[in-house]
Amino acid sequence: MTTIRRFCCDDLLRFSSVNLDHLTETFNMSFYMTYMARWPDYFHAAVSPGDRVMGYIMGKVEGQGESWHGHVTAVSVASEFRRQKLAKKLMNLLEEISDKMDKAYFVDLFVRASNMPAIRMYEKLGYVVYRRVLRYYSGEEDGLDMRKALSQDVEKKSIIPLKRPITPDELEYD
Amino acid sequence: MASKFGLAGGIPERRVRPIWDAVDSRQYKAALKLCTALLAKHPTSPYVLALKGLILERMGKPDEALSVCLNAKELLCSDNIFHFDDLTLSTLQIVFQRLERLDLATSCYEYACTKYPNNLELMMGLFNCYVREYSYVKQQQTAIKMYKTVGEERFLLWAVCSIQLQVRFSSGGEKLLPLAEALLKKHITSHSLHEPEALALYISILEQQSKYDAALEVLSGDLGSLMGREEEKLRLQGRLLAQACNYAAASEIYQKILESCPDDWESFLHYLGCLLEHGLNLPKSRASEHTSLLSVDSPLALKTSLSKELVESRLANALSFVQKLQGNDTSECVRGPHLANIEIERQRRLSGNSTDRNFFEALVNYFHRFGHLSCAPSDVEIYLHMLSNDEITELLDTISRSFDTSSLSVKGLGLTITSFKVQELLGIFFSKSTTELQSIAKGMVETFYKSLPLSRDLDPQESMHGEELLCMASSILVQLFWRTRNLGYLIEAILVLEFGLTVRKYVWQYKVILVHLYSYLGALPLAYRWYVTLEVKNILLESASHHILPQMLSSPLLQQTADLVKDYLKFMDDHLKESADLTCLAYRHRTYSKVIEFVQFKERLQHSMQYLSMRSDSIILSLKQKAESLEEVESIIENVNHGSRLVELSNRDNMEQFTFNEDLQARPWWTPTTNVNFLSEPFDEGSSPACFRAKVFEHKSIEKDDPKIKDAERKSLLPRIVYLSMHGCASSFRETEPNGSGLGTDAAEMKPLLEKYARSIGYSIDDALSVILGMSSGKKSVKDFAPDIVSWMSFAVFINAWNLWSNESVIPKADQSSPSSWQIVDSLVKICIEQLIDANRTLTSPGNSIPVLVQMITEPISWHLLVIQSCVRSMAPQGKKKKKGGPSERPNIPRLQATQRSVQCMIETLRSVQSWLSDQTRPEEQALDILMSYLQGGSDDGPGQIPCILEENSARHNPELGERFAQSLETWSSAGVIRRIVGAEKELLVELKKICDSKLKLLGSVSASLSSALH
Repeated sequence: MTTIRRFCCDDLLRFSSVNLDHLTETFNMSFYMTYMARWPDYFHAAVSPGDRVMGYIMGKVEGQGESWHGHVTAVSVASEFRRQKLAKKLMNLLEEISDKMDKAYFVDLFVRASNMPAIRMYEKLGYVVYRRVLRYYSGEEDGLDMRKALSQDVEKKSIIPLKRPITPDELEYD
Repeated sequence: MASKFGLAGGIPERRVRPIWDAVDSRQYKAALKLCTALLAKHPTSPYVLALKGLILERMGKPDEALSVCLNAKELLCSDNIFHFDDLTLSTLQIVFQRLERLDLATSCYEYACTKYPNNLELMMGLFNCYVREYSYVKQQQTAIKMYKTVGEERFLLWAVCSIQLQVRFSSGGEKLLPLAEALLKKHITSHSLHEPEALALYISILEQQSKYDAALEVLSGDLGSLMGREEEKLRLQGRLLAQACNYAAASEIYQKILESCPDDWESFLHYLGCLLEHGLNLPKSRASEHTSLLSVDSPLALKTSLSKELVESRLANALSFVQKLQGNDTSECVRGPHLANIEIERQRRLSGNSTDRNFFEALVNYFHRFGHLSCAPSDVEIYLHMLSNDEITELLDTISRSFDTSSLSVKGLGLTITSFKVQELLGIFFSKSTTELQSIAKGMVETFYKSLPLSRDLDPQESMHGEELLCMASSILVQLFWRTRNLGYLIEAILVLEFGLTVRKYVWQYKVILVHLYSYLGALPLAYRWYVTLEVKNILLESASHHILPQMLSSPLLQQTADLVKDYLKFMDDHLKESADLTCLAYRHRTYSKVIEFVQFKERLQHSMQYLSMRSDSIILSLKQKAESLEEVESIIENVNHGSRLVELSNRDNMEQFTFNEDLQARPWWTPTTNVNFLSEPFDEGSSPACFRAKVFEHKSIEKDDPKIKDAERKSLLPRIVYLSMHGCASSFRETEPNGSGLGTDAAEMKPLLEKYARSIGYSIDDALSVILGMSSGKKSVKDFAPDIVSWMSFAVFINAWNLWSNESVIPKADQSSPSSWQIVDSLVKICIEQLIDANRTLTSPGNSIPVLVQMITEPISWHLLVIQSCVRSMAPQGKKKKKGGPSERPNIPRLQATQRSVQCMIETLRSVQSWLSDQTRPEEQALDILMSYLQGGSDDGPGQIPCILEENSARHNPELGERFAQSLETWSSAGVIRRIVGAEKELLVELKKICDSKLKLLGSVSASLSSALH
């Protein structure tokens, strides 16, 4: 049993069991708060019956024309609450909001090319590798830009993989 | 505006661009050069001046920056200025904000807005200034003015938000709610509303005035379509209906929510609350939405006015609804309806309507379905406590029968873990015999090893199956140590976790427990090393620093501690500075709910008790580090307003508002908060499991407690008292110094501070005086005052300092033979330290005396040496005065003698510490042997078996493990871990010895100058 609701500032003080995990980055405050202020519908927490933070998703919506899309910035679940499809639930929520509320064309996300567990999970959720971004992570590791088309993109044009990898400065958005 | 014509602040854009480019690329020198050149052409351009100010500020020249910007401001506000634009103002604003002079930025905008009354851009700038200053009333007025000027919805909502902030943060603000409502109503009539956030704000204004029906009407009208997600609308509707006491309708709404989100536990509880019409589970108003969430903790009295029959029939309805939801679930992942089943049966059990079996069976079913999940035990924790002993046995039995123990499977492993966790949660392990516990712990470690093949194909980054086993094993070993005081178990507890980290180095849960175990064992450097790998940063500094900081603060690792404190303060200070800018951002993006939330959050962090504490700690730490140099100490204290600001911060009003933001969830059970450690108390064999559980959970929930607040208060007084002590002594030591005004005020200030200090230890100043007199004369036992002994010693030091220059007699004198204040300090220091080192505890004794010893030496003794240094310096000939031929300076001989005696006493005491430290520092091999001997009991009983298992497992060639695990296990060595413990303990001793060395060196030179003065 999971109550999924908007992420709020107080959650920042209670998400250490999610964020102490080595794969989860703890960003600076203006990062979190900018997401809350600009895209409150894209930042959700899942809480347990004891009101503990089980996990959360943060994202945004951006782009123009047919590249208007939802973006997953981070999704993370505390180890105690893994293996029960919580990340999927959170992803579906963001996809639904991008699709229904914001009429976006696709949802995308970046993942470390070495993070196989995450890549496999996103693939299961219907994401495909759209392109590779060379040395995206601190100038060292490559990132994979994965995408899933939404109902606006009837012909699924947004997810036709690019033939060649790109460099970070070719990215359209930060 | 001027910039529309290719001008920036009245200057051609092409001239300004290179300056900004240089600033952006941090080429400040180049920027300044360009700017100075431009200024020569436009000497009176406020914009160019503002730019120069900005550059100077970035270059770290705040004073020059301020003066340039003040100049710009003056020009702006003079009548003959032409180019008056937002660019100039916003540039100035940036500089003033960085110089922490928000008032100056505001007054620039205020002036501009009077001069150009209808300029929207300027008004928005002014509004932001008020947001940064948290001036809600002025925010409201400015927003209203903007609304009147252009009639836009957003400005009206800015005003309404400002009203909300007044309601929350100033007394009497509620009176403004009708005004906000009226404003909104009027606007809606003519223009309607267009943003979901605007609607939410409108509804919350109505809700706060208890106008639920009106709010519901709005929601079901046209405006209701603004709500983006249907579930959110329904949740709001349910809450409003419940608050309007329309429970029947509310429960229907909640049913709808549950049909689409069957896992929404919060909504289920509201649903039940509405059905049974009892307060606890009813939805709360928006203001408290996220602060105090519902709990179903037992035992709660049913607060329902319904008849027993009605309750039963409604619960029966709920049950069939929930069962329908269970049937709908095809994914087998939705736990909500199954947990709901248990909750309904619990309610029936509570109301006496049900046979107990139903409740038990609901629980058993839950475990059947979800028992393999890691969170299963904590999901149903509160329900487990309602079971009888027989039921518990039956439940555990059922769980263990539900899987095949002979074959290895993820599900079976999950159930094994669940069975252990249930016993842990219920405190059952506390009632097992030590022999049983040993075999359980052993079994856990073995199961962990046997289950490794299940994880062989997982990515190294992924958490493995069965990781919890080692946490639980280590926890049982700690309990064994608590019960037997056999150090071997504690070492085993460490080995188990280190073994786990050898297998996979990322398990933060292991690291956190190790941080605490190493700290307790006196191997702090190892604790610190693991802590560092947790990469605690940003907001985690506020919620997770508690794992290491308290121990570090009483350690000789002054530099590492200072770094931790510095990082923490930098984060907090920076955030508090930028927080209002983020509120501006929320306004700009019309996320009104977050405007209010951000301000609340800022308040929460600003009043963090940890924040206040650390501000004191940071100063105290620098004092400790520089205590051997009077000049450096003086400059440290001077930089913090001589400690006065901190004293002001610790006033009652501030302390009442303290917030405690530590996330204590991950702390081990034996130290549930920073100042509680069960291991330092004796284990009570007669206690029941429930008692232990209650004890652990009593502290777990909240860090807020009196001793911590008192401690924070005391720390905040310290820098000021140290300053006054030094200053007073220095002035008083010269006989020639007139008993003048300066001294009088110091003395007058010292008394209330010392009164406050004594109060924070729990005594009036007179009682406190008799305590230190009693202790120093041996009439009172130091042991009775042990928890606060360091504070008592410091108190004695400050009393002596005060006594040196106070006109009134500080110490009540019984007769001629009564000790002087110097003697009190000397003998108290001597007694306390002797007691500590005479106890002759060997090292590697948990909870050993090192931290207290470190504090005694780095705090009271340091403060006392500062007093002595001030005295000695003041008797040194002062060149100018002598030349003037004023009255010749004769040193106060009796006082010098007393000082000299005190110096000798400190030398002796520190030397005894030195020799104790040398005794403790054994050769590494010898220390290693001692620790290893704890693990070589030889028999089947007692510690020693687990290292054997670990050693065997890592040495065994097991092809099923896979290459990765096999490789990492090759590096395992119990002896290696123990060797590191020995090394870490030695490291601490060496650091402490260094501190003693430097104090002894100082004392030597002080003693020499005193001798020459006396002879």
